[in-house]
Amino acid sequence: MSQAAALSRDSRTLVIDGNEAAAWGAALSRPDVVAVYPITPQSSLVEYLAKFIAEGKMDAELMDVEGEHSVLSVLHGACLAGGRTYSATSAQGLAYMFEPYFRTPGLRLPMVVSLVTRDSVTPCCVWGGQQDAMTVKEVGWIQMYCETQQEICDSIPIAYKVAEHADVMLPVNVCHDGNYLSYGVARVDLPEQEVVDAFLGEKNVNWHACLDPERPMAVDPLTGGAGGAGPSMFVRYRKGQCAGMSAALDVIVAAHEDWGRRTGRYWSPLIEEYRMEDAEVALVTIGSMTGAAKDAVDEARLDGRRVGLVKIKTFRPFPAKAIAAALSKVKAIGVVDRAVNFGWNCGPVFQEVLAALYALPVRVPLVSFIGGLAGADITPEHFARSIADTIRLAAGEQVSSPVWLNEFDK
Amino acid sequence: MPEAKYLLVGSSHAALEALRAIRRLDPDGSMAMVTRDGALPYSPTVLPYVMSGRSRPDAVILRDRAFFDEVGCRFVSGVAATGLDTAARSVRLADGTQWRYGRLLVATGAAPAIPPIPGLDTVAFHVLRTLDDAVGLRARMGLARRAVVLGAGLVGLHAAETLAEAGLSVSVIEMRGQVLPGYIDAKASARIEAAFAGHGVKLLLGRTATRVAAQDVGIAVTTDDGRTVEGDLLLVATGVRPVTDWLAGSGVQVERGVLVDGFLRTSAADVWAAGDVAQGLDFASGTRQVLGIIPTAVEQGRIAGFDMAGDAGQKPWVGGLPVNTYRFFGRPAVSVGQAAAGGDGFEVVEQDLPHLYRRIVLAGDRLVGIASVDDPFDAGIMGELIRRRVDLAAVKDAFLADPTAIGRRLMSEQWR
Amino acid sequence: MSIAYDTIAFRSAKCDGCGECMKACAAVKQGTSRISIVPGARDGAFEMALCRQCGDPKCVMVCPAGALSKNAGNGIVDWAADRCVDCLLCTSGCAYGAISADPIGGRVIKCDQCGGDPACVGACPTDALEWGSAGSIYNRFGDKEDMFVPGLAGCQGCNSELIMRHVMRRIGRNSVLATPPGCIPGMGSVGYNGKTGTKVPVFHPLLTNTASMLAGVRRYYDKIGRKDIVVMALAGDGGTVDCGFHAVSGAAERGEKILYICVDNEGYMNTGMQRSGATPYGSWTSTTPVGDKLKGKTQDAKNMPMIMVAHRAAYVATASTAYMEELYDKLDRAIEASFHGFSYLHIYSPCPTGWRVPANKVIEACRLSVESNFVTLWEYTPEAGLRFTRSPDRPVPVVDYARTIGKYRHLDADQLAHIQAKVDEQVALLKRLAGEVSAVSAARAAAPEDSSTSAGAVPPPLRHETFRP
Repeated sequence: MSQAAALSRDSRTLVIDGNEAAAWGAALSRPDVVAVYPITPQSSLVEYLAKFIAEGKMDAELMDVEGEHSVLSVLHGACLAGGRTYSATSAQGLAYMFEPYFRTPGLRLPMVVSLVTRDSVTPCCVWGGQQDAMTVKEVGWIQMYCETQQEICDSIPIAYKVAEHADVMLPVNVCHDGNYLSYGVARVDLPEQEVVDAFLGEKNVNWHACLDPERPMAVDPLTGGAGGAGPSMFVRYRKGQCAGMSAALDVIVAAHEDWGRRTGRYWSPLIEEYRMEDAEVALVTIGSMTGAAKDAVDEARLDGRRVGLVKIKTFRPFPAKAIAAALSKVKAIGVVDRAVNFGWNCGPVFQEVLAALYALPVRVPLVSFIGGLAGADITPEHFARSIADTIRLAAGEQVSSPVWLNEFDK
Repeated sequence: MPEAKYLLVGSSHAALEALRAIRRLDPDGSMAMVTRDGALPYSPTVLPYVMSGRSRPDAVILRDRAFFDEVGCRFVSGVAATGLDTAARSVRLADGTQWRYGRLLVATGAAPAIPPIPGLDTVAFHVLRTLDDAVGLRARMGLARRAVVLGAGLVGLHAAETLAEAGLSVSVIEMRGQVLPGYIDAKASARIEAAFAGHGVKLLLGRTATRVAAQDVGIAVTTDDGRTVEGDLLLVATGVRPVTDWLAGSGVQVERGVLVDGFLRTSAADVWAAGDVAQGLDFASGTRQVLGIIPTAVEQGRIAGFDMAGDAGQKPWVGGLPVNTYRFFGRPAVSVGQAAAGGDGFEVVEQDLPHLYRRIVLAGDRLVGIASVDDPFDAGIMGELIRRRVDLAAVKDAFLADPTAIGRRLMSEQWR
Repeated sequence: MSIAYDTIAFRSAKCDGCGECMKACAAVKQGTSRISIVPGARDGAFEMALCRQCGDPKCVMVCPAGALSKNAGNGIVDWAADRCVDCLLCTSGCAYGAISADPIGGRVIKCDQCGGDPACVGACPTDALEWGSAGSIYNRFGDKEDMFVPGLAGCQGCNSELIMRHVMRRIGRNSVLATPPGCIPGMGSVGYNGKTGTKVPVFHPLLTNTASMLAGVRRYYDKIGRKDIVVMALAGDGGTVDCGFHAVSGAAERGEKILYICVDNEGYMNTGMQRSGATPYGSWTSTTPVGDKLKGKTQDAKNMPMIMVAHRAAYVATASTAYMEELYDKLDRAIEASFHGFSYLHIYSPCPTGWRVPANKVIEACRLSVESNFVTLWEYTPEAGLRFTRSPDRPVPVVDYARTIGKYRHLDADQLAHIQAKVDEQVALLKRLAGEVSAVSAARAAAPEDSSTSAGAVPPPLRHETFRP
């Protein structure tokens, strides 16, 4: 890749944390209404937004509301009135927001909300982890997970482009890991406003459902029932929502390509394959852990082990075909999660990958690694152990799954 | 052949109220009103005031041409109905026109009843039933000095007062022993009789006119006691009879008037009758009577009109109640219901004071009639207390002492 | 459209028989009073005879002289003195003694409403006589478009439907309406299966987020310059005082420019009559049933309008459908205030089904609730403070109201006493607020005159008895 060569000379280069990167990504997307309520580790993000608006860097209505429930509720109203909307939340905030959150995809409201992922109470904890985002993966929001501060900044305009696409019309969560990305500082090149404007084009967020005296309509009349037109209408709404989700895969790919052409930064839209050309075993990662994982892969390669890595960017819709294709030639797979799937008692990404691989003609053994809970570090050493376990699995040995990476950290 | 969904024959209170009722339910149905009178609608009750000059003839008109245009009703005046063919649903008029109707209201009212007194047909005499009568009588009155009035009912007494006030010497011959027979009791009558006597009117009560003869100037009326009363103006006011002759052979049942049921329907399909021509339910007796007063005409007209327009929610009429208000020489006399009743089953409470007379008639703690002289009361309230058979047991003494205050209280309570 | 007219209404419960009305009438008419107050059935009760200017006046129809007529312009039954022949037949046409023979002059007399400013009403010290301008409301709004389909599936006698139709008829099409779950969408305002029941943009927000989502609508329209849209809710009490409270409170605190109308039927009537925080003490509901151990709700209702006052909302008012002219006045002010800040209108709405009130007695229940002070009618703005729009003095006992409501049928004497005490306490508190706030306003208003400092001077401290610059 030739990212550096494509950089515009006029780009502003900042050294900022992930929350500020998200705030810049939001600001560049020119939302009309921004609603905020602070929660660790998202708080500085909304402080940046408030500051940008106070300083006139952003021309948006700032709604400091009384809780996350209302955060999403005011955005429902603003979006139905025709506005582009943005917010960010985390963990308990997401839980409190759940009632309107649950409703947003059904209303087909193309809003973007950053999830600064965090482990959820209880046990009481305010540190990173992806339990919050993973818990809501079935609700119907598109989920994209970022690896770096730059990707956070770029992914927010991309998310609007996807959400507002007429074939999609679904809300998007741009996820970045609490602590590591939210507070971690790195170089971020800000795209030019004109570039983002041209990329996003004219917004039209309520062509399908609006609250506008010039186009009076009833939004969300009651449907369903035991018979008659109601249930079939409800089924068509649900099917349509799935169609939007399916269509999003291609739209996400196209949006990332478009972004790359305009900015020179070509982010992998669905999954990124790292050193997978001749890999015999592979790790699957998601989010900011990927950097340490890549280091561990490089180390293993130096030792002559044919290890590769697949990073998931888009988790919803789940890129099942791309995953299956990327992992079709390996002999064993280790999936590293920062959350727990209760019931299956493994990592949620693990469970998804398992399902995707069912399409393959051969059965590939997998092992679930769960680490990075409650802000715990997943170090290259943890990944080295994971690689070793996966190689043992490929060799036909029994590996007890899941492996709790931080269980014996001191 | 002209036709109307609603054909109203007659143009006074009953017909006007029926028109109003019909239009409340059916704003557009074709309608026509035909009347034998040449004038726009007026009330016979106002005629004594036209005769006296108090009301100008053109100021007593109840509805003008614009009204009929506005409500969409053709108004055909000066043509009497002469026949009814219920099979063909048509009414024949004196000018030969045949009107087809969908629903017909017979509201032809009443005409003076001329008693069969020998010689009466040989002399000129007046009646007072039409505007023309009133105007004619007023013109003639100025030329006369002595007047003879046959009948001491409301019309006769009114006219007698007017004639007396105009300076004529007036004699009134009444075959019953009191004035206003049937309306009020003898004690009330006595006060009225005294007033007339005091104004120089000669009242010949309990006397029957046996002969009328023309004289060189004027007429002479002989009474059953052999006296002769002379005059140069004779007014016959011995009552009225319903105008039903044009219904002969139509199949519409006629007794004293046109017989009607609780919805004012006659015996013929799609034919109703209301007002002075109708013989309908009497509240007190439960029999069918010709009542001949405005309040009854209005009530009947309303019920008939609603029924003609197909009002599904109609309730049958409870029956008519006598209501009369009368002024003599400025003094009021009012009666409602069985105001003259007495005897078994009735409790009569009289106040016979120098400045007023009041008579309240109760039956089982319920008001059935009330009359007064020089003590006007709320006639509408008393009518409601009678009609609703309000039990007065709890307030009887207070009511007898002050019927106005208690009546107003009871009806104010009913308002809510 | 036919025309309706203003009338003089009589509240017998408020009349103490002082006779001021009759004196005022006699003075204005220079003769016998046209209004007659007579003793009522009970000691200290009074009744009235006065022309009600009937729509279908029988006195007119029985007049033989054409002297009486219904004036199509003002609704008065006019009497033409020059045509009248003094026959008194008209007195037989009135069942209420409202046109009667004048014992002095001998002619008939009747009320002509003093040309629209009746002296009797002005003279009444107890508000027993009221100038009812409900007719003007019909004239003003009767021709305006009904914003709901004819076939809303409300119960017979539904007061909430009445409120919805009146409110939206007044507000019209340039509005965005939120109707959170409850009877209002339940009867079909948002519609079923893709069909709407409303002509304005309407939304089924969550039970919990009505005020918030509306705030978002308003902010966006304000941002793009479409500031003339009425952004409003017709919400039930449950979604307002219980689970949606946070949203209402937050929107009020932020001064969101929305019109929030709470249609208070004192519980979750749509889902089968469960209790809410607005359900009054003693009420039977399906979750506060009446049995051997429990006798209805054991807590008092949350007073939401007073909570809104505590938020210093731009406008707060209570209203009742028994007093439509007042409701419309408040609606006008509430709409206006919603363009500047949070505007809250609380309308009491007896539920014939859930409260067990006969459908034809709902408005009577509304009226008794006010006459007994169970419901007080007032309005508040931060500038003018709180003021009663209907005097709470001379209330009827609350039991008179309670016995018209089926959900209170089981109440024993102690429970009734509790309710009466609670009502008295609320009125006392409101009176204190009304008195204190207006005293503060008066002190503020007086300050610039006494002060030589600029208009921007610090206002005098609260409860400062004599302000000296």
